[in-house]
Amino acid sequence: MLDIRSLSKKFGSGAGAFHALKSIDITIEEGEFFTLLGPSGCGKTTLLRMIAGFEQPSGGQLVLDGKDIATIPPNHRPVNTVFQSYALFPHMTVAQNVAFGLEARGTNPAEVAPRVDEILEIVQMAHLRDRKSSQMSGGQQQRVALARALAPRPRILLLDEPLSALDLKLRKQMQFELKRLQGELGLTFIFVTHDQDEALTMSDRIAVMEGGTLQQVASPRSLYDHPANRFVAEFIGEANFLPGTIVDGKLFLAGSPPVPLLREKKSRGAVAVMIRPEQVVVGATSEKAITLDGRVESLVFSGTDTHVSLRLQNGTTLSLRSPNTSHAGTALADGQALQVSLPIDALHVLPEETADAA
Amino acid sequence: MPHDAPASENALIREETRRRWSLALPALTVITLLSIVPLAVMVAYSFMQAGQYAGVEPGFSLDGWQAVFFERDFFDDSLIPATAHLTILGRSIALALATTALTFVFGIPTAWFIATRPPSSRGFWMFLITVPFWTNLLVRTIAIQEVIRADGTLNRVLLATGIIDEPLQMMFTNGAVLVGMAYVYLPLMVLPVYAAIEKFDFRLSEAAYDLYASRLYCLRRVVLPLMWPGIVAGSILVFIPALGAYVTPRLMGGGRAMMWGNLIDLQFGQGRNWPLGAALSITLTLVVLGALIWYARRTAKKDHANG
Ligand SMILES: Nc1ncnc2c1ncn2[C@@H]1O[C@H](COP(=O)(O)OP(=O)(O)OP(=O)(O)O)[C@@H](O)[C@H]1O
Ligand SMILES: [Mg+2]
Repeated sequence: MLDIRSLSKKFGSGAGAFHALKSIDITIEEGEFFTLLGPSGCGKTTLLRMIAGFEQPSGGQLVLDGKDIATIPPNHRPVNTVFQSYALFPHMTVAQNVAFGLEARGTNPAEVAPRVDEILEIVQMAHLRDRKSSQMSGGQQQRVALARALAPRPRILLLDEPLSALDLKLRKQMQFELKRLQGELGLTFIFVTHDQDEALTMSDRIAVMEGGTLQQVASPRSLYDHPANRFVAEFIGEANFLPGTIVDGKLFLAGSPPVPLLREKKSRGAVAVMIRPEQVVVGATSEKAITLDGRVESLVFSGTDTHVSLRLQNGTTLSLRSPNTSHAGTALADGQALQVSLPIDALHVLPEETADAA
Repeated sequence: MPHDAPASENALIREETRRRWSLALPALTVITLLSIVPLAVMVAYSFMQAGQYAGVEPGFSLDGWQAVFFERDFFDDSLIPATAHLTILGRSIALALATTALTFVFGIPTAWFIATRPPSSRGFWMFLITVPFWTNLLVRTIAIQEVIRADGTLNRVLLATGIIDEPLQMMFTNGAVLVGMAYVYLPLMVLPVYAAIEKFDFRLSEAAYDLYASRLYCLRRVVLPLMWPGIVAGSILVFIPALGAYVTPRLMGGGRAMMWGNLIDLQFGQGRNWPLGAALSITLTLVVLGALIWYARRTAKKDHANG
């Protein structure tokens, strides 16, 4: 178990100092596929490098199995990294690369070769074991980098955007294989990406970061269904925001009569109400819902459904999906008047101040 | 080239080939004029007869080459092996090796220091390293003499600070020769090694640390092997001219221990034996060539063994 406690990192000092990480608290469980997700420059690599030992924290603790490892140098931490650039040793063969960590650690030479064979088998690179690492495709280098980091049996494997250099097809395949491998080995993975799809499909839990701060830590499902704020809602998937007010547990939205909310009992004043496009229902629904009128502004066909952009009477735009179930009569037209329902259960109330900030 | 390539493509390839040759022509001309022609002249001279007052006279003769390997016995005029030449060659090789080793010891940290400065200040440091190149070799050597002479700068400083009571005799020792040589040839080691370090991807050493390597282990397994070509280039660049050096050994050593270069110098000067001088020069060239071929063969074999 890795406990990250109020960890912060400042680059430089004095007036030019830059706060790359501001008091991060995360607990990563044994055997978890944990993902750090966030836009470029939010501090994902910095956090990962601190766990690896390449950066010293400016404050806070890094507790692995009850021991603060913050001051232990990288070559004494039971943590290995798959680098974004792979960083394979170009003068060594695949097998020599994979053996490096074992040899550097002083593993009994009789045990090195079997371990190298075993791990090359796992990543399906055994047939290229004597190839120079500079003479391989990106996908192959990726596998070797993975094998090299796994060979010394680390407690935690760190992966910094390991798939970003691969083409889409290979990337999907490697996502699948990484996930399978992680499950089979039961090893803790800390995975960095700025690709939300990748994060959603692979992770047990995701930490969403922005500007050096932690926004939310949750499972993919609950990040999507219950984003903590507007940034998370927008970063993971698509979202509609409608301005509203809550008074005595009732939601007031422009253009509709007030409706009582199930989860909100108090008055909260101005809020932003979030709803995912696919949860907006065209026409009426039997659920408890808010109905709104608007006019179709644009239609974009995308195979299984059509992306509809609706201009509401109060001026805001609402995105929704209209399934292409091939009933000739349900086809929508540009400029057409349309009534939609927002099921109460699908509405998420976010504090207005984050909406202002965004 | 495929057989069924269209005629126009063939013409294009011919045109391209001609263009490349014409582009390479100036370089080829310079190489021919500056290295092949003088070498040919030396080879020719080594097989001619010595002129009475220096120079050569037309006519084939093996006297020059004979004198490289044999000398006339003082008493009965019989041919005996020229062991003195072997001693001198051995001394020159030893000096060149020692010079290479010394420039290595000082050159690697220097190159490392420069290569790890911020890019903006690297130019300045490289400039400092190359400044001595702009100065005449003789002047540089005399400058070193000035430092280590009995009443030179170093002795005066040591005397003034009370570290020594009387001046150290440093001039005209083997140490003096070595220091002078290392000073003269240091830049030739620093430049290629610097180029190798600058190209080095420091993410590789980071990966090595991540994989439990100590600093020393990383240096041995990752840094040195990748810098090796630069180190070899630097060593060759120092070793070869050091082997034929004669100004520095003469000035710093006081002419006490003769080097191969001095031997050649002697034949073209006081000795007035140009064929022998030419043959001695060619011999040195062959020794260097042999060493390079041996090295190239060895590395080729090692690479092959590695797969
Ligand atoms: N050594 C450093 N000195 C100064 N600032 C740094 C240093 N390393 C990183 N930073 C800054 O810290 C911030 C976070 O950088 P980091 O590399 O962690 O971002 P990231 O989330 O990994 O981004 P990306 O997705 O682009 O890789 C950036 O603004 C970066 O400029
Ligand atoms: Mg990064």
